[in-house]
Amino acid sequence: MTIPYSLRLVCLCLAAFFLVHAAVAAVVRLVAPAALRIAGRMRPRLAARFLLALRLAPAALAAFAVAGLCAPSYLWLEPAATSEEVGLVCLLAALFGAALTMESLVRALRAVARSGRYWRECRRTAVKTRIGRAPVWIVPRSAPFFVLAGIWRSRLVVSQAVVDALPEEQLAAAVRHEQAHRESRDNLKRLLVLLAPGMLPGVRGLSALERAWARRAEWAADDRAVAGDSRASLTLAEALVRVARLGAAPPLTPLTTSLMADGHDLAERVERLLHPAANPGRDLPLPVMGTAAALCGTALVALLQPSVLYSVHGLLERLTH
Amino acid sequence: MIRFFSKRDAELGHLESGVMDILWERGACNVHQVMPLLARPLAYTTVMTTLDRLFKKGLLDRRKEERAFVYSPRFSRLEWEKKRTGNFVAGFLTGPESSGELLISCLVDAVGSHDEALLDELERRIRERRKELCRRRKK
Repeated sequence: MTIPYSLRLVCLCLAAFFLVHAAVAAVVRLVAPAALRIAGRMRPRLAARFLLALRLAPAALAAFAVAGLCAPSYLWLEPAATSEEVGLVCLLAALFGAALTMESLVRALRAVARSGRYWRECRRTAVKTRIGRAPVWIVPRSAPFFVLAGIWRSRLVVSQAVVDALPEEQLAAAVRHEQAHRESRDNLKRLLVLLAPGMLPGVRGLSALERAWARRAEWAADDRAVAGDSRASLTLAEALVRVARLGAAPPLTPLTTSLMADGHDLAERVERLLHPAANPGRDLPLPVMGTAAALCGTALVALLQPSVLYSVHGLLERLTH
Repeated sequence: MIRFFSKRDAELGHLESGVMDILWERGACNVHQVMPLLARPLAYTTVMTTLDRLFKKGLLDRRKEERAFVYSPRFSRLEWEKKRTGNFVAGFLTGPESSGELLISCLVDAVGSHDEALLDELERRIRERRKELCRRRKK
């Protein structure tokens, strides 16, 4: 099939995105069990960052390959305004690339729309008040929920049932937990996870990493909320159990963090809060982090050399035909 | 030909269950291969009839190799358990209204009592920990 210059660029970018993404995603999938074990030995905050980075790595590397290598080498080295024959493999890869990106875009946009709708519904009946110094929206509903809704301007939304059930001290502990999510921008991270494509169109494939990240993010918010204070830990644990007693929370939108999360690891969270020092986990040593950053920087500089762009152009030519 | 499970097909006799266990464990087998693996010695024709019955119920696939049929399970054990449970639940739900409500209420009670017990236990542990911290502070 003969395709003009600019359309060929789009086609090659999509094909390269798909191929790089599929390769990196396959590697991530392979190393995921080991990564989950390593994350289990880290502090929750660091583990959450590590798991999120791993989950986003395929999309990030594929985007870098396209924006940093494919597009510049094509624009620099490909003779302009020429039409060329494009092979079936390249067209198929481009098609898969388009399907992959469209799928994740639609998923993210739907989540944003649902999140907006959820907030508008809450605002209709909610009353703004303050718990401690934090502004909180109280919704007159009997279903128990305590959530942080919204991406950029996230707000605490609490049902009247929870406000009635929790004493002031426990409410304050729950607010601190949700504020920890706000400070970590966890809803924005959820959006990034939704934007990150699955392994193949229609196949998520990396859900284990996503679930593990969400769990560690909850633990990290617990740790941040109690700040090593054993009394605050007990208060937050009591708040969790008391909210759990109120019954099942209504289904949440994907861009909302809840005090109870999915409720599956309540016992484990309470156990961590009761014995905060029992398994503190480890931070990555500074030299390791420094070495990793230096290696990444060196690789980046090496990749952006003109000789690399020539090689990439050679590869693109092979992919095209 | 695709066959659908009826409630009757989902019920297996003792011998049928034993044969299915062997096939899930070993994979594809003919009658001769199944016979020595059974809990008690049975006639060739009995085992053959049982395998044929399981094939007709849609639980087994078969192909001819030389002059004998080789049977293999159409579903994994897990898939089969799911179908059986589905049939069991569907039986309740399509019955008189009261039996459906009874099933749901039993399930809710079972889940609820488990949750309540867990929450009671967690609360007890929090109380104990609080007492422990108070004692430490007094010392």
